[in-house]
Amino acid sequence: MQAEYLTIALSKGTLLKPTIKMFNNVKLPAGGLDEDSRSMVFTYDEPRIKYIMCRPTDVPIYVEQGAADLGIVGKDVILEQARDVFEMVDLKYGYCRFVVAVPAALENIGIKELNYKRVATKFPMVAETYFRSQGLQVEVIKLHGNIELAPLMGLADVIVDIVSTGRTLKENNLVELVKIMDSTTRLICNRVSYRTKYEQIQPLIETMQNYTTGGNGDGNKAV
Amino acid sequence: MINRKIPRGLRDLLPAEVAVQRDIEKKAARLFKGYGYEEVITPTFEFLEVVETGAGRNIREELFLFTDREGGILSLRPEMTVAIARLAATHLQDAVFPQRFYYIANVFRHVQPHLAQYREFWQLGIELLGAAGACADAEVISIAVKVLERIGLENFKISLNQIGIFNSLLDESGMSIEQRDLIRSLVENKDLVELARVLDTLAIDDLLKETIAILPILHGGLEVLKRMPYVGKNRNAAEAVGELIKVYDALKVCGVTEHIVVDMGVLRGLDYYTGIVFEGYSPELGYGLLGGGRYDKLLGSFGLPRPATGFALGMDRLAMLLKKPEAGPARYMVGGKDWTQMINKADELRSQGKIVEMDVAGNSREELEEKLHGRENCQLIFVE
Repeated sequence: MQAEYLTIALSKGTLLKPTIKMFNNVKLPAGGLDEDSRSMVFTYDEPRIKYIMCRPTDVPIYVEQGAADLGIVGKDVILEQARDVFEMVDLKYGYCRFVVAVPAALENIGIKELNYKRVATKFPMVAETYFRSQGLQVEVIKLHGNIELAPLMGLADVIVDIVSTGRTLKENNLVELVKIMDSTTRLICNRVSYRTKYEQIQPLIETMQNYTTGGNGDGNKAV
Repeated sequence: MINRKIPRGLRDLLPAEVAVQRDIEKKAARLFKGYGYEEVITPTFEFLEVVETGAGRNIREELFLFTDREGGILSLRPEMTVAIARLAATHLQDAVFPQRFYYIANVFRHVQPHLAQYREFWQLGIELLGAAGACADAEVISIAVKVLERIGLENFKISLNQIGIFNSLLDESGMSIEQRDLIRSLVENKDLVELARVLDTLAIDDLLKETIAILPILHGGLEVLKRMPYVGKNRNAAEAVGELIKVYDALKVCGVTEHIVVDMGVLRGLDYYTGIVFEGYSPELGYGLLGGGRYDKLLGSFGLPRPATGFALGMDRLAMLLKKPEAGPARYMVGGKDWTQMINKADELRSQGKIVEMDVAGNSREELEEKLHGRENCQLIFVE
């Protein structure tokens, strides 16, 4: 009997290039994978794998519902979506960090002084959880893009956003006040697929672990 | 405005859906009875204190709570095992054990509703009370396998673990309760990345770290049990491993091991499990189908210290996987001009075990033919 297809949901956009590079390294098929192509599904027979092209924010739901067995997506998205999926491998690329940023004029403000302030963000879940863990209550304003604009126009006092180099912040006269956490790309897995397609999935996880740890040693080791 | 909303997460079941559910119930009940299990019914709601005594405090945020007129806090039942433990402690203090019970019940949880997860859902299951040992676990697990087979599922897997392995490893680590809860949820959710990070910050034996880190991905036959380096150093964990092997061997005799997978990542959410735990999955559904295990302390917490084991199966999820049942037996529609003749004809057919509807509106033959148009499997009998 032929094995069933293993379906992997891929994040379109900046993560795609390093993902293809990683696939080449771990000997997964990647020929013809291209987000400019009109196809949204790429099927290979050796090994039997299907890739589906998704918006990054949609990857966790595809995996949670079992429409894809595996997914490749940033930790930032995973945290915000809080979906019920297994997080199996830290693929290390696509680094960014969640930060609290304020207008340069407030550079020296203490975090405790942000109580009851307005926070603009694309990540209400992450923002809410962070401020609550600090014992602070804030008003979270969900925006869909150009978060930096909000404090400039007086819509919010501070922002929570992801940054990689920090250049955008600087250009908009904002400064990083606190780093909430780091984020990198992760391999996520459906709860049931892991068990029902174990023979296909587990070796893949191990190769990816070895790849991210530089190809030496036991990928299962925690230390 | 007419209000015909129903509360979030609830649903109506129409005849075709009820038929599937009743079919599941019938097949399961017949199987359970064949093993000597008898049906019990418990109240739909219980005191919150009872639910929490059994299931622990962590379950509270999933409960539907309300108060009675005396100010007592009541909870719709979130599952059946606690209720049956309470029932046993109430009524069976002097009974001869083991006792075997099964149930078919609706249960209620205030969860985020999604595909295959409703706030009122139907469970059926069995509890084997007052029986310790591998054979008791094997009986319950093999019934779980057989019930899925009997209902017509193929390709499913039962993941098996002994929760004592994990608990003993953590007992020895000297971690705080909070740390243990965190590690437990990371192992259960197979968050390998965060698990590695947290373990890295703990000051515990390296071999122990390595063993805990590998638990979520230990999955396969009995050979995976050899991949836990620290277990040899921990007597309780080694004993738990021994027990798991015994149950596996007993399952071999029952002839069901083709469906069994050893999986060290199965820890079950509920607090009352003490030994063997298991979960059932089908490749066609992204969510678990059944779950169960051994709960040797639960009856004791109600004042009847007895070991016990059992499982519950989610009927709503199972129903999603089943093929539509074949059309039922032929039906008849009796129409006519004379009511007495119609009654006599209908009764005659019913006495032969037929399903007979009557036209109660005095329609003509043509009108009735029109109404039956497109309805499969229904024959018109028009008495003149």
